[in-house]
Amino acid sequence: MRRPLADARTIAVFETRVLLADRTLWFTALATLVLVLYGLLNGLAQTGERERTITGIVARQAETERGNRDLLRQVMARAVTPDPFANPVDPASMGGGMAARHAIMPTTALSPLAFGQADLNPDYYRVTYRSKATFMYDGEIENPWNLLTGHFDLAFVLTYLFPLLIFTLTYNMLSAEREQGTLRMLLSQPLSVLTLLAGKLLPRIGALLACAVAVPVVVVLALRPESRHGDQLALLMLWAATVASYGLFWCALAAVVNAISRSSAANALVLIASWVVFVLVVPVLLNLAVGAAAPSPSRTELATRTRTITVSALARYNDLLSSDYKFVADADILLPKDGRLQIPERMQGLYLVQRDTDVELERLLEQFDRQLDAQQALVDRFGLLSPAIVMHEAMASVAGNGARRFVHFRDQVGAFHRQWKAFFEPKVLQGLAVTEHDLDTLPQFAWTERPAADARAEIAGRLAALVLPTLLLAALAYARLRHFRPI
Amino acid sequence: MLDAVRVTKEFGPKRALDDVSLSVRGGDIYCLLGANGAGKTTLINLFLNFLEPTSGEVRINGRDVATAPLETKRDVAYIPEQVMLYGVMSGLENLRYFAALATGEQRTRTQLLDLLASVGLDTAAADRRVSTYSKGMRQKVGIAIALAKNARALLLDEPTSGLDPHAASEFSELLKRASASGVAVLTTTHDLFHATQTGTRVGIMKQGKLVEDLSNDDIAHADLQALYLRHMRA
Amino acid sequence: MIRLIARRELTELWRDGRLAGAGGLVALLVCAALAVGWQRQHEIAAERTAAQVLDYDDWVSQQERHPHDAAHQGMHVFKPEPALAIVDPGIEPYVGSTIWLQAHRQSELKFRPAQDATGLQRFGSLSAAWVLQVLGPLLVIVLGFNSIAWEREQGTLRQVLSLGVAPRQLFWGKAVALGGAVTTLLVPCFVLAAAAVLYASSAAPVPALARLGWLAGAYALYFGIWVFVVLGVSARVRTSRASMTTLVALWIVTVVLAPRVIADLSRRWQPTPTRTEFEREMQHDLNEEYEHAWREQFGTSVRWGPDLPLDKWGISLRVDDHAGYGVTDEHFGALWDTFAAQRRFQEWAGLAVPILAVRSFSMGLSGTDFSHHRNFSVAAEQHRRVMQDLMSGDLIEHADPLKDRHFAYQADRELWRQVPRFVYDAPSVGWALRESWPGLLVLALTCALSAAAALAAVPRQRML
Repeated sequence: MRRPLADARTIAVFETRVLLADRTLWFTALATLVLVLYGLLNGLAQTGERERTITGIVARQAETERGNRDLLRQVMARAVTPDPFANPVDPASMGGGMAARHAIMPTTALSPLAFGQADLNPDYYRVTYRSKATFMYDGEIENPWNLLTGHFDLAFVLTYLFPLLIFTLTYNMLSAEREQGTLRMLLSQPLSVLTLLAGKLLPRIGALLACAVAVPVVVVLALRPESRHGDQLALLMLWAATVASYGLFWCALAAVVNAISRSSAANALVLIASWVVFVLVVPVLLNLAVGAAAPSPSRTELATRTRTITVSALARYNDLLSSDYKFVADADILLPKDGRLQIPERMQGLYLVQRDTDVELERLLEQFDRQLDAQQALVDRFGLLSPAIVMHEAMASVAGNGARRFVHFRDQVGAFHRQWKAFFEPKVLQGLAVTEHDLDTLPQFAWTERPAADARAEIAGRLAALVLPTLLLAALAYARLRHFRPI
Repeated sequence: MLDAVRVTKEFGPKRALDDVSLSVRGGDIYCLLGANGAGKTTLINLFLNFLEPTSGEVRINGRDVATAPLETKRDVAYIPEQVMLYGVMSGLENLRYFAALATGEQRTRTQLLDLLASVGLDTAAADRRVSTYSKGMRQKVGIAIALAKNARALLLDEPTSGLDPHAASEFSELLKRASASGVAVLTTTHDLFHATQTGTRVGIMKQGKLVEDLSNDDIAHADLQALYLRHMRA
Repeated sequence: MIRLIARRELTELWRDGRLAGAGGLVALLVCAALAVGWQRQHEIAAERTAAQVLDYDDWVSQQERHPHDAAHQGMHVFKPEPALAIVDPGIEPYVGSTIWLQAHRQSELKFRPAQDATGLQRFGSLSAAWVLQVLGPLLVIVLGFNSIAWEREQGTLRQVLSLGVAPRQLFWGKAVALGGAVTTLLVPCFVLAAAAVLYASSAAPVPALARLGWLAGAYALYFGIWVFVVLGVSARVRTSRASMTTLVALWIVTVVLAPRVIADLSRRWQPTPTRTEFEREMQHDLNEEYEHAWREQFGTSVRWGPDLPLDKWGISLRVDDHAGYGVTDEHFGALWDTFAAQRRFQEWAGLAVPILAVRSFSMGLSGTDFSHHRNFSVAAEQHRRVMQDLMSGDLIEHADPLKDRHFAYQADRELWRQVPRFVYDAPSVGWALRESWPGLLVLALTCALSAAAALAAVPRQRML
């Protein structure tokens, strides 16, 4: 009884030898390896820089806090006269800037795998009780030209270039055999063309996946210790599955093209055209469609409304804002008595202006996040039209640099901001001096990661969105190959 | 062994084979003659399931080729006019590959070398890349593959075209040996001499029809040539 | 002779469906992109103009308050959307459109549209520029890859040459045909673009049309480069198939791969600081300047002690501001110069990777590049300084004398009106050309080089 598996194995072994002998495999594997490593290196570098920045911020914040504490002690001991606008005893000064704390979103173990949105969205904010408008709108510094061009990261290599590398090995699997005449020799044996194709695909897929999947996995496990256990390991495995599916999608497409078409040249053309459509054109068109279907609210309008909100707040507290400022002349006023301090009414006024502005702004800003969510939902649904979109989104998600994680971060920053304000408001409005105990109990930003199940579900969804079309193509290839004729 | 039963093959409006019936039994060497485009290669392709008949049946060892493609291929070995192999691999490696696919057995290097030697390819040649081979050498590998398969039927397409007389006669010897051991041989050819020398049966195809189907005992060489030309002219 | 050859070529391209098929597709995409661009530009421009007017009205009609509070509330200025953003939106998604001019801080433009978008944005926006720069070369490849190789394969090459046609005449005939085919496809698109731009820039159509003209020239050079490259490869390589492979590989490397690598290289050659680094260094230098200025002006750098009563508040604001101007100009200037240097690096890389040169020039002439953005930022900053100086001037005159009751002073409409309306004139075509000339030069050089290389592949006498 013939065993198709044994035949496939025979073919696979022989094919490997042929590919190695005519150098195709060497070149393609090498090219894949070089590109993958370069992309990964960029990712590692960028992640390293982000982490260094964060470490620096944390260190400097600790230093500032030490300085504040020392100053507080000195002021309490009447050893030093504080600057009225930078008084460690004054909750208005402290909460408004001196004691500002950073809200930081850490990188994940898998961050080097994709830049995602990390070059646009900051992963730290300096939180004070002042309005969110004062600290939430800054971005990281990057040349917009380079933002437009995009980064050469692993996600780019895998999304854009990996399919092309797959094509170089698979475009002529059957057509070359036909053109060089060996197909007749093969198919005059008791061999089904399906087994033949399977046998030919095995070494090709194997080599490519080894470079595109195994190598990054090994590098990440080696250089990012936290990726070796728990949720990150699960995500890494999901990542590997996603890349493999993406690769298999293009292999399946190549199989279909080989099953239907006649010549290697035609195959190559069709595959390149598919790549142009799926990887270049469809995403651009979908971007347009998504932007039209769920347009972002107008930032111009936000700016205008921010100002009108601020104006009305200023008007509301005008009396407080225009009150006397005795404090410069009388240094004693700057020191606490029985735990109480005379907060300048103007400072109280400024605090209230910021607070009221924030409440109104909250509603407006929420619209933006909701709209972004709506856009993301559309992308998730219609991204199915192009495996490149699904792949790109999946890569960003796995690396913890996707849009959703940044929104999650901003939500937490908002909550921390509210906590901060709640801590300082009674002190500012009632005139309570800041004590060392307060410094010990200042709100601390505690980052909580999105539930791992969420991230996993998201990526699993994307994986399914890749597997489904692959299966469809495979079924199509199967159907066509059953009636395949080598003539 | 090899049976074509009222086979018709149409390619659109063109009828490549028109109600052709022939039979090749074990031990026969059936030589199929005809001009270019007469339908000889089409018939071979039908036996190999490279094409499907428009009507009629093609059988190998009693099994319908269309319904049992893989089983029927086990019983037949094929040597095309141009034996194309993988140029980047050696003759030996090619043989190993095709032989493994043909029978499912892995053969040892010694066995394969013996096989090649038996068709006239020495060890040194066997280890060279096929891209360095002449047409005759490639054909020898093709024969070796067919021998390795040890099939009950043999299909040959213009086997002696492009071969020098010595190689052609070597080839004829091989065929005779094969048929002596009970293999059914169907070969298409232009070579009338080869047909009379080697064949036990002769068929003449013209524009898709089998116009003559004779046993070689029936006619002498001169008659065959006259018969052939008469059909070609008409 | 050349005309004959060209005409025959064109007929063949038309007959085998490539011109209609691939060409039609590209032209369709360009027109769609123009439509989209027009709609977007129209919307944004209207919105921003309206907001700008409203903003100033609000400023002027604000109630009485302390000038410093007014300066903190500030005013917004909105970057106008140039008419040619219809063709090339450039870096718009990645730069802000709004600056909040307020006291004490030089702001940057905020609200990058890309931050409000999903990751899909990173694949690119549909624009005429994108289609022409990325898909245009593919079109040229599809139309011309087998131009000479096919004739060689078919045997007609020998025939034509045996008639006495010089190989180079044949070459030029084909070049004219290929170029002509592309031009025919794109002329309607150009007309459409001109109409859209005319409508969008109804106030000042001539500069806008002039810019469009320069753009057309640059894209003509860009396509010219590809025409010569395609024909050169087709002439040199043995088979059509090899020609196609080579050209597609070339396209992938130069259009998809190289821009990103070169962006990386430019970053390495001229690194930009991180935000924390930038702010820290600037703050450090500012503090130094402040201290220096205060010592000079007030004899002490201790803020707000018995040495420095509140009747110096207004003056101190002005001292701080003026001390800061030099520092901020230096730091922002250095940062923006780094961006500009990175751009130049990539422009010159355009000699090997032409898309970089055409992209830079296209953005530059469309008014959507960083130079224009910088020009606006600087103008906005100047306006802010005007506003700030007016406010502190008023404070010095009226509020300082009030000493402790400094903040009780409220200014009124008379002061607000003194701040002029922000009027921004988009830079002239000449200015844009001065900023972006390397791109055009590189395109011209590369075009000449590719023509020379292609001709070198086509010998004077024999061609087999």
